[in-house]
Amino acid sequence: MENTQLGQIPTTAAGRGQAAIDEVDLTPVRTYWQLARQRFMQHRLAVVGLVIMATLVTAAIVIPVLTGNLFGKTSLSLANHPPSLLNPFAPLGYDSIGINIFLRLAKALQTSLFVGFSAVSIIVVVGITVGALAGYFGGAIDNLLMRFVDLVLSLPSFFIIVMMVALFGTGNAIVVIVAIGVVGWTTAARLVRGEFLSLREADFVQAARALGAGDGRIVVRHMLPAALAPVIVAATLGIADSVVVEATLSFLGFGIQPPEASLGNMLTNAQEFFYRNPMLIMYPGITLVLVVLAASFLGDGLRDALDPRQRVKG
Amino acid sequence: MASYVFRRIIQSIPLLFGIAIVCFFLVSLAPGSPIDRFRTARTSPETIRNLIHLYGLDQPLLPIEFGSWLAFGLTLVGAVVVAGVGIVIVGRSVSGRRRRAVGLGLIALVVLGAVGVVALNWAAWGGEVTWPGRFIAWITNFLQPWQVDGNGNLFAWGYSFADGQPVIEKIVERVPNTLILMGTSLALTVVIAIPIGILGAVRQYSLLDKLITVLATIGYAMPTFWLGLVLKFVFAIKLDLFPLFGMHAYGDTSITDLLYHMALPVLTLTIVSVAGWSRYMRSSMLEVLHQDYVRTAKAKGLPRSRVIYKHALRNALIPIVTLLGLTIPSLLIGAAVTEFVFAWPGLGGMGVTAVIERDYPLVLAFVMTGGAMVILGNLIADVLYAFVDPRIKY
Repeated sequence: MENTQLGQIPTTAAGRGQAAIDEVDLTPVRTYWQLARQRFMQHRLAVVGLVIMATLVTAAIVIPVLTGNLFGKTSLSLANHPPSLLNPFAPLGYDSIGINIFLRLAKALQTSLFVGFSAVSIIVVVGITVGALAGYFGGAIDNLLMRFVDLVLSLPSFFIIVMMVALFGTGNAIVVIVAIGVVGWTTAARLVRGEFLSLREADFVQAARALGAGDGRIVVRHMLPAALAPVIVAATLGIADSVVVEATLSFLGFGIQPPEASLGNMLTNAQEFFYRNPMLIMYPGITLVLVVLAASFLGDGLRDALDPRQRVKG
Repeated sequence: MASYVFRRIIQSIPLLFGIAIVCFFLVSLAPGSPIDRFRTARTSPETIRNLIHLYGLDQPLLPIEFGSWLAFGLTLVGAVVVAGVGIVIVGRSVSGRRRRAVGLGLIALVVLGAVGVVALNWAAWGGEVTWPGRFIAWITNFLQPWQVDGNGNLFAWGYSFADGQPVIEKIVERVPNTLILMGTSLALTVVIAIPIGILGAVRQYSLLDKLITVLATIGYAMPTFWLGLVLKFVFAIKLDLFPLFGMHAYGDTSITDLLYHMALPVLTLTIVSVAGWSRYMRSSMLEVLHQDYVRTAKAKGLPRSRVIYKHALRNALIPIVTLLGLTIPSLLIGAAVTEFVFAWPGLGGMGVTAVIERDYPLVLAFVMTGGAMVILGNLIADVLYAFVDPRIKY
């Protein structure tokens, strides 16, 4: 703590000579991202969220890659085999047509996360582009783009997604991703525009302009990094929303269709086995809840971590 | 205030028109057709032609018939891109006050350009004028919902492709069912979530607060349809307390039967929204409790309950009132998924079915109603906000 009080000059004559040397700040300069990482690691729930998310993503990548097409393989001799932790290949047992539930769950998680992350990338790219254009140029462009944002915001969003997916390609993951992205980019655009409006007049931007930097350079190298924090937070929280929307679509029968696996269509199937194997509705549901919880913990943690006004303890 | 509301209503007209254009062309240009489900090996081409004619799908979309929609679309997109690049280049070189004028001029230029493209296409492809085209016919009728056909039916929003019933009547029939469900859930949510939120804020970081926070977080993370499934499993199958789905037992229209059928869907909706609202209430209350005037009230020795309920709560409720306005659209269309899970005969479920059946008039009417509700909800939220918070002036 002592060496952080740089400005304080010892008042007693005796201490002066020795203390002046002692009080030189020897702690290394910490960049914004180092500080952000420290703040993040101090946020207990955020770390929990990160661990859950990392585990889920790893499982969703590794298990289906190792097992290939086994997630759709039926073997009637194994039908209705109960869950058993002793069986490392099928800890959740087999369903009524002998499909390995654990493998299917991993594959479904992969599909859902893929859709979620892809939809969020569309949201981020479109949102940043529109928001940056509107916020940087202002005036008529801003007016035009923001009226368009208002238009999209006035659409009954979930129903529009259902409509697009139903009319343009039921069962096509790409259509689901595009539909979620097309409807969802407005929040990100508004955030970026707000940041850009205030950054446009900031001293460092004026300085860059005075030095002769072009619009493209100012936007990409100077303003964008400074405006990124709220977008990162919104994107993290957006993953949860997108995954749930995909699951809902698939549950309603518009999204990913069997034999492809998705957390939503696993739940549709599970309804048929309400009486015989009720746990079938628990596995995909709990996985969904975990994804949403992990994403929202991560988002909350990032919000605090990326806020430079938050103090780093210790 | 009146002039503000008037201005907002005027502003919402182009917005609704935009929604109408987007949705109409989204539906009309989608691959596939509503008569696809009648196509079997045995349907004669003539029957198909008659059906297409019956549904009015042989009419052109716009008054002008184009030789090629693709060519038209590509030229239009090209024109917009060129105009956009133009705006960016010119907008940069003009500075200060004149920028706005130039911007408006350029928008006018884009509109003129689009009209020009239409005219050029028309000339190039030798189309013929066929008045009025599906879009204009649809929207002019849509704006006059009071029109009545020969049998006294309100036909202006079209007849449903699925059963020939007028769309307006189909929608009006379902409104009470959805309102009952959503209204009950909303009332319960307000009654439960506000005290929970206050409790959490007043006893911040206590064991109770932590418990509430954990439960609210989990409740908020649960997808509605899955929660519905779980509740159905627990209460309808395991405990056999409530029916699996539906609104009435066959032939039974008593209130008790309605309540019996309502219990599970209302519970599902209420759990999810209580989770959200109580978190909102808690943070709003916390913010107010840290204000100076609350400290003053405490310092001058007012009883704790008076400080909390009289000074703090009234101000903490301001954002909640806004939230109330924003939930208005969901009162009518928001519960689609819950209605689907419990086979509740409401509007949301009907909307989803209409999309599956490609019942275009119903889908369009549904989206337009939804859009109008969203705009209305935002307006009501803003008006309410000004109403409860004297600091806000429009």
